[in-house]
Amino acid sequence: MLNCERIVADADRLLADELGAWERLRVRAHLLMCHHCRRYVRQLRLLVGALAGWHGKANPEQVKKIMDIARRGG
Amino acid sequence: MDRSTPETLNLLEALRREKDPTFAGLVERHHAKLLAVARSYLKDGEAEEAVQEAWISAYKAIDNFEGRSSIQTWLIRIVINEAKMRLRKAGREPTVSLSSVDSDAMAGRFKENGSWREPPVRWDFSSPDELLQERNLIDCIEKTLTSLPVNQRCVMELRDMDGLEFEDICNVLDLSASNVRVLLHRARTQLFAMVENYQETGQC
Repeated sequence: MLNCERIVADADRLLADELGAWERLRVRAHLLMCHHCRRYVRQLRLLVGALAGWHGKANPEQVKKIMDIARRGG
Repeated sequence: MDRSTPETLNLLEALRREKDPTFAGLVERHHAKLLAVARSYLKDGEAEEAVQEAWISAYKAIDNFEGRSSIQTWLIRIVINEAKMRLRKAGREPTVSLSSVDSDAMAGRFKENGSWREPPVRWDFSSPDELLQERNLIDCIEKTLTSLPVNQRCVMELRDMDGLEFEDICNVLDLSASNVRVLLHRARTQLFAMVENYQETGQC
């Protein structure tokens, strides 16, 4: 059976949905039994989800400034 | 290989029809991301200059953009080239590689049999939105990102914040897929450990 250290190592591939069918089954079997690893995967997913919305849009002044510079060519 | 997506094809069409408003839309959507990529390599002021220069180059070259990669990947490549050129000119050769001193923050938390010795603590946040409402934690995450080695920060920026595919990250950073994965894992565990510490102590 997979141990917890291996689950943590494989968590990134699990989140990216890159595990093969057999690996995914083994990981899921471990997660069913181990609440520590379930917590690790759940919280890692949450953290990665927060990072996805990290950068907002540029404000209109910034856009205008960049457009002026770009049109002038420097 | 033609990797043009419907989104990219629509963008190309819009650029042909109305270059300036479409380009302004790109600036609005991508400027903050590009600035963060540049900051992986350069200090704040230099990074802003590099991104401005990259926008000038992009504006000049956008008529030749064929859509073989996503516009985001194309822009990121321009920014990284500009940042690396500035580092080379300053005699600070950029290195995006694996380093033995960049450790895995989870490495010491297991027993010999691979089970948890120091299991993860429970966080109070139940969604990304809840986490993003915690101002002090956001500052701590920013601080941790800044303290990451350039290689880890860059990979995390491109993958987790900008959503690039692994293949594109490998191409843009000229790294192998296995190196990119190791760097991402190290960056994520570093950040994970900091959030845990924040949860327990209220500090970074």
